Amino acid sequence: MATTELKPDPPAAAAGERNARAASAPKHRGTAHGAPFSLRYLPLWDKIALAALTVTAAVLSLWNLDGAPSYQDDEGTYTSQAFAVHSGTLAPYTYWYDHPPLGWIQIAALNWLPNLLGLGDGTTIGATRYVISVYFVASAVLLYIVGRRLTMRIPFAALTTVLFILSPLSLVLGRQIYLDNIGVPWLLLAFYLALSSRNALWHHVGAGICFAIAVLSKETLSIFGPALLLALMYRPKWSNRSFSVVGFLTAGGLLLAFYPLSALLRNELLSGPDHVSLQDALAYQLLNRSGSGTIFEAGSSRAELLSGWLYFDKYLIAAGLAAAVVCLLRRQSRILFIAIASFATPIVLGQGYLPAMYIIGVIPFLALACGSAVDIAWSGVERLARRTPGLTRPLRTGFVAALSASLLLMSLPQWFEQDRTLLTAQTNSNWRSAMTWVQDNVSRSEVVLAPYSMWHDLNSSGWNNAWTMIATEKPDLDKQFDIERPGGWREIRWIIVGPSVMANIDSLGLTRVKTALQNSEQVQTFGEWTVHRVINPPSN
Amino acid sequence: MSATLLASALVLIIAVALFAIAVSTLYLNTYAWWDPKTQVRTSYSGLQSREGHSFSLIMPCRNEREEVMRATLAALLAQTHSRKEIIISVGHDDTETVEIAHRLAREFPAFVRVSVDVSERKNKPRQLNKALSLCRNSVVGVFDAESIAAEELLAHIDSVFTTKNADVVQGAVQLINYKDTWYSLRNCLEYFTWFRSRLHAHSRQGFIPLGGNTVFIKRELLTAVGGWDGSCLAEDCDLGVRLSTLRRKIVVAYSPQLVTREETPDSLSGLIRQRTRWSLGFMQVFAKGDWKALPSRRMRTIAWWTLMQQHFMALAGICIPIAIAAAIWGKFPLVVTLVTFLPLIPTLVTVAFDVCMLHEFGRDHKFAISWYDYFRLIAGTPLYQMVLAFAALRALFKFVRRDFAWEKTDHSGSHLAYLLPGAAEPARH
Repeated sequence: MATTELKPDPPAAAAGERNARAASAPKHRGTAHGAPFSLRYLPLWDKIALAALTVTAAVLSLWNLDGAPSYQDDEGTYTSQAFAVHSGTLAPYTYWYDHPPLGWIQIAALNWLPNLLGLGDGTTIGATRYVISVYFVASAVLLYIVGRRLTMRIPFAALTTVLFILSPLSLVLGRQIYLDNIGVPWLLLAFYLALSSRNALWHHVGAGICFAIAVLSKETLSIFGPALLLALMYRPKWSNRSFSVVGFLTAGGLLLAFYPLSALLRNELLSGPDHVSLQDALAYQLLNRSGSGTIFEAGSSRAELLSGWLYFDKYLIAAGLAAAVVCLLRRQSRILFIAIASFATPIVLGQGYLPAMYIIGVIPFLALACGSAVDIAWSGVERLARRTPGLTRPLRTGFVAALSASLLLMSLPQWFEQDRTLLTAQTNSNWRSAMTWVQDNVSRSEVVLAPYSMWHDLNSSGWNNAWTMIATEKPDLDKQFDIERPGGWREIRWIIVGPSVMANIDSLGLTRVKTALQNSEQVQTFGEWTVHRVINPPSN
Repeated sequence: MSATLLASALVLIIAVALFAIAVSTLYLNTYAWWDPKTQVRTSYSGLQSREGHSFSLIMPCRNEREEVMRATLAALLAQTHSRKEIIISVGHDDTETVEIAHRLAREFPAFVRVSVDVSERKNKPRQLNKALSLCRNSVVGVFDAESIAAEELLAHIDSVFTTKNADVVQGAVQLINYKDTWYSLRNCLEYFTWFRSRLHAHSRQGFIPLGGNTVFIKRELLTAVGGWDGSCLAEDCDLGVRLSTLRRKIVVAYSPQLVTREETPDSLSGLIRQRTRWSLGFMQVFAKGDWKALPSRRMRTIAWWTLMQQHFMALAGICIPIAIAAAIWGKFPLVVTLVTFLPLIPTLVTVAFDVCMLHEFGRDHKFAISWYDYFRLIAGTPLYQMVLAFAALRALFKFVRRDFAWEKTDHSGSHLAYLLPGAAEPARH
């Protein structure tokens, strides 16, 4: 027996060794420009870029956070539900599976701190916005490192994050208490882990867990599932791939199963006569909720929604969509095309209900697509320059000049104006005046209808009863009202009307509120906010 | 009110403990697949051109059938390594096996000798110690009577001793008769994860309960520590613990071509007896307390966890459903009930990975794993878990009663049917 270096290793182990060798060599599969990006070995320029982007994101997110944009009802809903979690329930009213609760459970885990510190001008909704800004900064940072994992060069990865931070669309929505903002960093973390170039099994299992958390925070983010699975699998085959995919799917799937499981344990999984159920909620959200029409139908709410998004940032949306096509040119970037395409499909083809914050999920991917496309173009310029050495400098200069010019054209006219408004305007002063007036002039024993945006702040200022201080929708939508207020709408004394109330009465069919409002007189006006007193008290 | 709170707290603590056990099991089972580098680290090093060691191979036998012994011996004689001797170790009261052993020794006088243990209470470690006194070569290896070694195994083990400067090398054993019974499939896979992954994780943590088969120890070292503990039911594990505390270098090596092939116990009661013996042995080793001599608190914690985890794991399988049922029927708050479901996540992920491992097992050993086999694997999991839990409880019962009699596993030779021509041969490269 005198053989030298006879290897009995199985093909799997041999392949593993090749990988191990490849990892130490400068050129590793999965990356085009040197070693795989890893937070453990962060080059100096990455550190500088990350620090600068974190500070910028934090400043832009926090500046005038409570001044603009104006508080929305949904923000108030999630604020009040987060406070309900503090006292051991999922919502101040009957929780009807409108969304999985993990989003506001996360808010609840954090929002005691800004409240304790007295941030948010003394309002709970304002203080809770500080929690969202933590998630916004996290998204900005994660966007950079995902960009780096997608093999982008440092300046272009930084550009990606800058687009995300400065886009008025992103900045407006990213300041508000929406569940999408909670889910997005988890989604980005899932992509970061799925793209882990070390082929480490645990990262891939972690990606499944993060994705499940993202979906349990906001269910619409599940639309990015196929792109994420592709990010995990779309690489040269490696020995542990089946383990990675199985681990990703089972860990994520099992965690997601806790949502229906919790419904089952409360006996609310399937529809029944006397209780809310997950089945009813899903049927409502997917089938029965009044649809938004098709996108091609002028004046449909889908078309209006789209033009609303375009109003805030038509440049990022248009550039991102075009860039998504360019992304097809590079293997690592193709998942961005898939992500954006799968996001766009229900907008273009669907007719069902489309929520306004749906766009939040895709903004990071639009930014990533732009960054990737620029990076791909730069690679093209470099190739061209290598072929014609004399032209290197003019080519590079031309590219940078064109890029800067297009960025300026994009940002100056629209972005600058809108961002400035966001950072300086005081859009919540009427909201505040209306709320203060009610606090000062209405007895704590009288029944008041208030929009969700100020409901929690009002209720916690002395009413402390969800059926005396009532959120506008609840008399019509929560069956508990019949038990708590057997007198019906006649028990209502005051109605606070904000910009969204009339639209909600129509779209949600709030007949009791409508009747009460018809029998009321306007007592006070603060801009678009009015306070009404019901003038037809009960006959007893 | 306070009683409910107390009960909730208790349920939560149990659920968190079960979760920790399940995560630890998942960690150990999948360790080898974490990343490709782990796979490289856990395989054999390349062959050296010169032989550096000589081997004395002990083959402990008791109530064995001749064809089983003959097959085991043939595989040892066929080793490509040139410097080896084989000592068939038997007990004097087992006359039939003694006769077979002598017959075999006469057939191969140059390689084979017989050691007859005359001690009154019979068990494996005493037979091994008697055989050790006859060993003449530099490394002592143990091969159970029903195991088929790969031809080039000794040559590779020799290289590991040389290149890694090891004191002990643990090779891998694989049960292969996965089609025979409902439990044999799970049993085979258990061996696969143990030698493919778990042992390597233990090795990295510096605390290894050695196996009793295909284990190689330098003779001088083995004699110096007094051989095997003649009163311990898990003499192999005990030796590993003692050598770990002495900080001796123990190397674990795996390659599917070099595993030693073995069969599962031939009946369910045989499996339970074997498991009880192992569990009881682990309890003995734990009670002996040699592990307390480990240098650091961290090492001691790892040792404690490694020795206890076997029992925890066996019991967790039945405790998880009980905890869930208790939480549901006990009308606990929803959060508490949901937490009792948490241990199911790592448990079911482990089962999902088992499916991948069964695929790899089939690929490595050239078995055609069918859909029915995958189904059997999943469907058999709860039952198998109950068997393990029963054996662990039985061991605990015996431990309390101080009943340490050796319950031997019978061998029918069913693994020989799986060794079709070529199947046992290491693949040539």
